[in-house]
Amino acid sequence: MSVKVKHFPGEEIETKDFREGKVLFESFRPKARYAWSAGIAISRFLEELKNGRIIASTCSKCGRIMVPPRIYCEKCFKPTDGWTYVKDTGVINTFSVSYIASDASRLKEPIVVAVIELDGASPGMGIVHLLGEYGDWRQLKIGMRVQAVWKPPEERVGAITDIKYFKPVKG
Amino acid sequence: MSLEKITNPLNARHWLGHMEADYRYTLGVAGERFLKEIKENARIMGAKCPKCGVIFVPPRLYCEKCFAKLEEWVDVGKRGEVYTYTVATIDVDGKKLDKPQIYALIKFEGVHGGLIHRIGETDKVYIGMKVEAVFKPPSERKASINDIAYFKPIEH
Repeated sequence: MSVKVKHFPGEEIETKDFREGKVLFESFRPKARYAWSAGIAISRFLEELKNGRIIASTCSKCGRIMVPPRIYCEKCFKPTDGWTYVKDTGVINTFSVSYIASDASRLKEPIVVAVIELDGASPGMGIVHLLGEYGDWRQLKIGMRVQAVWKPPEERVGAITDIKYFKPVKG
Repeated sequence: MSLEKITNPLNARHWLGHMEADYRYTLGVAGERFLKEIKENARIMGAKCPKCGVIFVPPRLYCEKCFAKLEEWVDVGKRGEVYTYTVATIDVDGKKLDKPQIYALIKFEGVHGGLIHRIGETDKVYIGMKVEAVFKPPSERKASINDIAYFKPIEH
């Protein structure tokens, strides 16, 4: 709203007017359910996580090793034509410290979300995941080496959460 | 890896989600008065334009033809005419109804607009059929369009 306009013409209503039944209204909750399919490349990526491995797709034209894998090379506009495993170690590309959970509730201990550039993949290629076992987050640095901490095999279901988090390692 | 055609996403590796898109729709000044008249006085009211004389049902605050403010309210009566109709055999969720339900757009004489409502007490309907609003008893009315139970056919 412009600084010059203090209020718009019309009837202003507030949340309490709804609660106190001062205005007539209809409430509605749309049935907006959906199923999101993971697709060929991500499905294989998730299957491999169950095996404790991270798979990437490769393009023979530009030679890039892409993770998470995709079915088309966005640089060459052609289908990717190979698969290769990359390591579960890498470096922090960027990270974010959040005191708010995904449901917007306040957190006492922050979660740290990072982009991890994985060893064996092309530069700049990486996955988003949580960091853990880092002590004080103020010690975290971009470029720091990290390694995946996996769930035990029997607990893995083929989800990105089969990796619990990445922890800093020496090197 | 072969490229298979999957038309149902549940047959592929998938995530299920639900978008929380709750909302409230306020009826506004004119809509509120319209429903309160139905609840308290069992009257169907229209808003009349002082400039061009058009009567709107449901009533609104401004004339959409000449933009004049509508402050005169008129009782358009309980009787109208079926302008168009449809016969539903399933409900909003796609479940089969016990018996078909007729829905009609009911126009009132000399009025711009109309009301969409159920037709009751008959299984016959035709365009131009004369109908009359049947109101619920006062104790059951909640200032909703459903305070009109349905429109029934009338002799003419």
